[in-house]
Amino acid sequence: MRLDHGELRSLLPHRYPMLLLDRVDSVEPGVSLEAVKAVTGCEPCYRGIGEGQAPDRYAYPASLLIESFGQGAAVLWLLSRGPGTTGLPMFTAARDCVLLRPVYPGDVIRHRVRLEQVVHGAAFAAGSSWVGTDQVAEFGSMMAVVRPADAIAERKR
Amino acid sequence: MSERDQHMAELREIVAEVLELEPEEVADTADFVEEYEADSLRAIEILARIEKKYRVEIPQAELNEMRSLKAVHEVVARHAGWQD
Repeated sequence: MRLDHGELRSLLPHRYPMLLLDRVDSVEPGVSLEAVKAVTGCEPCYRGIGEGQAPDRYAYPASLLIESFGQGAAVLWLLSRGPGTTGLPMFTAARDCVLLRPVYPGDVIRHRVRLEQVVHGAAFAAGSSWVGTDQVAEFGSMMAVVRPADAIAERKR
Repeated sequence: MSERDQHMAELREIVAEVLELEPEEVADTADFVEEYEADSLRAIEILARIEKKYRVEIPQAELNEMRSLKAVHEVVARHAGWQD
């Protein structure tokens, strides 16, 4: 199964600038998922950086990389649940996460997510992130719990 | 090491990792909430890790009882059939 960007938006409540996935290339519900996030120089995290900075100033923030992987885990969990289940995943803990090399504008990140355990309204995922053939991060354990959708307030315009 | 000591050491390690403590800091009878500021999410994480490690199912209703390492051991022993 493949999900384009529109389908991702119908699954995840996140929106600009916090929707940090572009596409899902493959999903095996209950087991694993492979998702793509392209990093560009237009990202809001690079706004306001002064001229003439060292290249490492443009390293993609670790917090956003972890969140992006977590959104992949959320999609996998949402697609693994039985019909009629409601509620949204809320990211609660990350353990044994290792960043192996920086990610820069122009890099396309591939998250490989495995669903490890779903129990007591909580889900645990693990996996790795890659740019080309380079592994950029390892995720030992990411935990999320389910919360009622109406408890996560929608912002009305 | 007796079987009980072995189980207590393993459970102490799980609790310490989730509560971000050193294993020797986790006393047998100290209350997770009062002594270590644990919350319900940490409690669920401890429960989930125990279930995964020992391949045992523990009803969520038991969470209220699992407030110290000793209490966790008692609950897990009951559901895993340990003769500790």
